[in-house]
Amino acid sequence: MSTTLLTGSEAAALGAKLAKIEVLAYYPITPAFPAMERLNKFIEDGELRARFVRVECDHSALAAALGASLVGCRTFTVTNSQGLLYMTEVAYHVAGLRQPIVMAVANRALSAPHSRFPEQGDAISQGASGWIQLFCENNQEVLDNTLQAFKIAEKCHLPVMVNYEGYIQSHTLEEVTIPEQEQVDPFLPLVRRATLDVENPQAVNTVASPEFYQDYKYRQNEGMDLALQVIDQVAAEYAQGFGRNWSGLIETYRMDEAEQAIVAMGSMISEARVVVDALREQGKKVGLVKVRAWRPFPFQKLRDILEGVSLVTVLDKNIVFGLGGALATEVKSALYGFNETRINSYVLGLGGRDTRAEELTQVLNLSESMTEPQNTFEWFGM
Amino acid sequence: MSLRIEDLPQADLFGPGNASCRGCGAAIAGRQAMKALGSRTIVTIPASCMATLSGSNQKTAWQVPFYHTLFEIAPAVSSGIRAGLEAQGIKEVQVVSWAGDAGSADIGFQSLSGAAERNEDMIHVCYDNEMYMNTGGQMGSQTPLYAATSNTTLGKPTKKKNMLAIMEAHGIGYVASASIAYPLDLISKVRKAAAREGFSYIHILAPCYRGWNIPGDQTVEFARRAVECGLWELFEVEDGKRTRNYEPSFISVADYLLPQGRFKHITKEQVDSVQESVNRHYGRGRSEG
Repeated sequence: MSTTLLTGSEAAALGAKLAKIEVLAYYPITPAFPAMERLNKFIEDGELRARFVRVECDHSALAAALGASLVGCRTFTVTNSQGLLYMTEVAYHVAGLRQPIVMAVANRALSAPHSRFPEQGDAISQGASGWIQLFCENNQEVLDNTLQAFKIAEKCHLPVMVNYEGYIQSHTLEEVTIPEQEQVDPFLPLVRRATLDVENPQAVNTVASPEFYQDYKYRQNEGMDLALQVIDQVAAEYAQGFGRNWSGLIETYRMDEAEQAIVAMGSMISEARVVVDALREQGKKVGLVKVRAWRPFPFQKLRDILEGVSLVTVLDKNIVFGLGGALATEVKSALYGFNETRINSYVLGLGGRDTRAEELTQVLNLSESMTEPQNTFEWFGM
Repeated sequence: MSLRIEDLPQADLFGPGNASCRGCGAAIAGRQAMKALGSRTIVTIPASCMATLSGSNQKTAWQVPFYHTLFEIAPAVSSGIRAGLEAQGIKEVQVVSWAGDAGSADIGFQSLSGAAERNEDMIHVCYDNEMYMNTGGQMGSQTPLYAATSNTTLGKPTKKKNMLAIMEAHGIGYVASASIAYPLDLISKVRKAAAREGFSYIHILAPCYRGWNIPGDQTVEFARRAVECGLWELFEVEDGKRTRNYEPSFISVADYLLPQGRFKHITKEQVDSVQESVNRHYGRGRSEG
């Protein structure tokens, strides 16, 4: 193992290289493109033996990845924002076909108005697509989650998105410890499962009548149920093999005897750790709940963790119009009927607006001073 | 030596048990093409009659791997299939995307053009019934001028987009037109495409008797008349060299158009203008150009 400075883009590309992907397909987009270019360089330099399909659009990128996956190859793609929206039709299809494709997403705000800057709205838009979604708090986790994503995908027969934020992660250097190939290979053995095979002809995606369709969807959701266990197992196995423990579905930080909790995902977690440390210094019993897996959503685990916590402040770097923050909506639905916890929801940081420790501290102060239990959401930073 | 019927394999890799209407031109095209492609073939078919008639639930009419893709992605999926086969060192497999006129010329055109430009090692077949039959027969870019469809009941006001010229302009190695009424020509062309490396495009006129409003036992007959009147030229462009594969007898276009229900409202002037365009193309008779 060696430690070096890497951007999130480089960490994602390195993760895919260490996973020995066999086919790569993408269509260039900002800010995901440095991860793409890095992978092409690995291929050109002979460090990665993968085929690159140079498609003409994002939609075809996921379609080409799907073709490669259907003949049994370990397959990777990268995109964000508009590219992800353009892929959406294929994304649902990939999940329905139970193909273990891994996609890195450099989360970026959606147009209109046009923005190149970070936000989680693109990933949130895929919440019903059937993809497992992992969120990364730093570049080390981008690399580690990319490796874990292949294992989770191949065990659950479901595709996985690895989310890291544009610029804040994709273009920022951080210290990353790189595992050795010899460590990765036994963690990620390739089990080839070709669906389209001339030696064993099968018809794929024939028309399903009402007698069949709902059963397919039931089994697809069972894959998500399985992922609730697999994500925890894979994280534990990774911790054992690589010495870094990201927990599984949820990681907690200083939740011992916590009366208050912050719940968030992605890059805000690193800042929230700083905030929690400062508040603990002041004697406040505040802890942090990092939701690492947004799909499947870890309802039970969240209930267990938040039992006895009187105030939960949920931070959402996304907006579902007419509803509020997506994470807060899930947290409320997880706790509904189980306890009397007050849940305050804040939407912030859209399109690159700051979410530093300073801002997060202000959000917590606002949340604390809120006297009436509220079930709506508040905008922060207006 | 030209191909003979008795040289063809007996086995049908597509056909028995398919859910097509009797007299379906698409199913005939599929059966003929598979005589050339053989069992080591992976077929992708986007949303279309061909995809739905190919199988439902646990049944399929294909003896080779078949994947019913989303509407606009068959050539992109096939590109990925080829990349995946190459990554595993799997050789001697034909990768074919097989789409209707919508999945080739309209909604599927972007991925088709992309795959052709990349010169992917695959064959794309457009089976063309000149309208969107799987949704009940709406017009598309391959619907000919004046043809009535379910959403142009007075006849289409614009011309058929020339897909063969467009695909030829991609600079790919092999482009060919074909017709289900000339099976040996069709099968020879698919064989030729299969023997080549790189991208090949074959555009098959495969009438739909329902959409064309002709009797169900006249599908092949009208495919033949389209060729014999000169409206559907059988040709191929191999490495830039253009060859006409069949000299039509030049029956009048009226003999092709007028018996079809979709042209029942066509005027004499319109028929004459179609005849004039055929004459011009072949350099026959008095030309106004």
